[in-house]
Amino acid sequence: MNKLKLNYTSLSFLPILVCIPLGYQLINNIHFGGLKLFQEFLISAFNPKIDNEIIITIIKRLNETILIGLFSWLVSIIFGAIFGIISSNIFYKIFNIPNFLYRIIRFFLTIIRSIHEVVWGILLIQIYGINFSIGILAISIPYIAINSKVFAEQLETIDYKSFESINQINAPKFSSLLTLIWNPIINTFKNFGLYRLECSIRSTVILGFFGVGGIGTSIFLSFQTLNFRELWTYLWSLAILIILSGLIFKKIKFNTANKILSIFFIAVFFITILFSFSYFIYFIFNNNFENFNSFSFLFKSSSDLGLFDFLKLILETIILSLLSTGIAISFPPLVIGIFNNNTSKIFIKIFAFLLRLIPTPVILLTLLTFNNPSISLAALTLGLHNAGITSKLLFTNLDSQDKRNYIAMKSLGISKKTSWLLGLFSQQAKSYLAYCAYRSDIIIRETAIVGVIGSVGLGWQLQESLSSFAWQEVAIVMIAYSSIAIVGELINGKIKNSLT
Amino acid sequence: MNNTVLELKNISYKYKNDLILNKINLKINSGEKIALLGKSGSGKTTLISVLNGTIKPTQGEVKLFNKNFEELDRKQKSKITTIWQDLRLIEDLSAEQNVNCGLLAKNNFYFAFKNLLNISSFKKAHKYMQLCRLHNSIYDKKIRQLSGGQKQRVAIARSLIQGSNILLADEPFNNLDPKLITTIKNLMLESIDKNNTKKSPKTALVSLHRLDLLNDFDKVIGIRDGKIFFNIKRNNLKKIHLDKIY
Repeated sequence: MNKLKLNYTSLSFLPILVCIPLGYQLINNIHFGGLKLFQEFLISAFNPKIDNEIIITIIKRLNETILIGLFSWLVSIIFGAIFGIISSNIFYKIFNIPNFLYRIIRFFLTIIRSIHEVVWGILLIQIYGINFSIGILAISIPYIAINSKVFAEQLETIDYKSFESINQINAPKFSSLLTLIWNPIINTFKNFGLYRLECSIRSTVILGFFGVGGIGTSIFLSFQTLNFRELWTYLWSLAILIILSGLIFKKIKFNTANKILSIFFIAVFFITILFSFSYFIYFIFNNNFENFNSFSFLFKSSSDLGLFDFLKLILETIILSLLSTGIAISFPPLVIGIFNNNTSKIFIKIFAFLLRLIPTPVILLTLLTFNNPSISLAALTLGLHNAGITSKLLFTNLDSQDKRNYIAMKSLGISKKTSWLLGLFSQQAKSYLAYCAYRSDIIIRETAIVGVIGSVGLGWQLQESLSSFAWQEVAIVMIAYSSIAIVGELINGKIKNSLT
Repeated sequence: MNNTVLELKNISYKYKNDLILNKINLKINSGEKIALLGKSGSGKTTLISVLNGTIKPTQGEVKLFNKNFEELDRKQKSKITTIWQDLRLIEDLSAEQNVNCGLLAKNNFYFAFKNLLNISSFKKAHKYMQLCRLHNSIYDKKIRQLSGGQKQRVAIARSLIQGSNILLADEPFNNLDPKLITTIKNLMLESIDKNNTKKSPKTALVSLHRLDLLNDFDKVIGIRDGKIFFNIKRNNLKKIHLDKIY
């Protein structure tokens, strides 16, 4: 008997096997109580509510969303760059600082990064109460750590010989540092900055579900009142915002040779730093921290969480991550491969756009209309949302790929599906899997969102513990979350390295 | 002329299991122009890296102006300038920005900042670029857009603008056409004053492959397998010496 040979192409399809246990649980949990609601939800997409009142609300809510998104982006990109510099080895080489400090800072940033902005959000709301600035803080904290990783990775690419050369000129250390890091920092900002702004806006929408304001709050309230027509008005307005911002981002080109523009950016840089520091001081001194008077709270509060229950929650979170990742990896190539014609492509692209557009809590709440809460349902939600993102990348790569192999195979009489698989997809499979490895880091962090809404895993437990001010439990859950995310990041890092 | 500016005492350098430099003793006096000869892989680049402090020797002492290299402050160390064989320019910066980097040691952080923002004065950089026969059309071009010869001259201009007393150069004439070599060689071996005229001779140690370029040097050092085989006046150089190292 021939042995099964695994290659990058087959590895891209293999995770679809997660659909077997997933489908089994979903079929067992099906109910028809909310089918009418689901039908109404779908019909409302084509019949959104439009009147003066809702338009005024949309403008107000979108303004809030853009403001929170923009501020948190600005703070996170600037402080991300600063932390990126102090967590890169070039900084330590120039200033002759012992390397262990570099490891401590990196570890600290990894922990902060591992906790999703939603978790930061609900934690800060519990401590500080609902406030406009909570959204900015909740996004900025993990985003600073995420951005710092990207900046640090870029700074690691600085040629050691350039460092030696500048070092040999014996310039002041800060001058040497600035000269070496300037271009990697500017290039990272150019290539990565606007993408992070889009991420900030998306995160603001999600945080809106938890009360920080913006369009997310309106979407959530419409869903709670089952006002689907209003809900779709908000969703379509969000779609217009995302499409428009995408078009504007494509047009924006940062020309660092333009002196006035450069000075403007520098001014924004310093103003943001000054503003952030002054706001931070204001935040510390003008805050009564009603529910969290001191760290002693952490030790006074008791934990009712049994070890077995706790381990079960961890296991649930891991299973949720694995199932979601499986769907996000295999679903796009499978659907694109099966429905391989131009008309289907348009429909798949629209469907994928909707999956990216509709926030995961809305997808989950919609699915809950005809299925009981379970790990499978949460995994399906998270998997589908991320499949919308991975399929966008796959489409972009396939569209720009040389199609001669595909055409040649078709001309030999090989079927269209096989030609697509071997002539097109097989060449993309390796880089696609590498991207999916990166994506699975994000999926692990996002289990918090579906966990809170879908009553599964550590996300749900975190919400419960916070509601009862059981700070010790909160601390335990946060540590567990962070540990899962860090281990996941280490494993994915190894996979990414072997694929690139 | 007899003031020792650079001194190597019993220098050895080991990389993994290979002995790259083997018990080297060398004195370089102020104003001396020394040519360093040797086959590829003989240890010339490593010797230059030890002299400018980039590489710490496994054994022995490096002294600059009679002081141990580690004891020197930044300003004292900046009295040495190096033209590297692989140039070591910053690819993403323009030619004039790279040349201006040579002035970093004499200026503050604000100058580095202005240089990167393209708002600093490039007057001095342009003067040295002109001296190195670089056309003004390439001043604002990124390094990666330049030819090998142009890059070589940018690296030389960056080194000359530092106005250092001691010049170390590792095969600086690679990629240059024969007409340019003489001009560049003269520029390298003599300091330049404000009026673009040559002033006092520099202390220079230049590694070379071409024997026809030895004319302007006072001394010749021959190196093989990490050992100095001869250190003699140029006029005393004979075929027998060259046979020892090639």
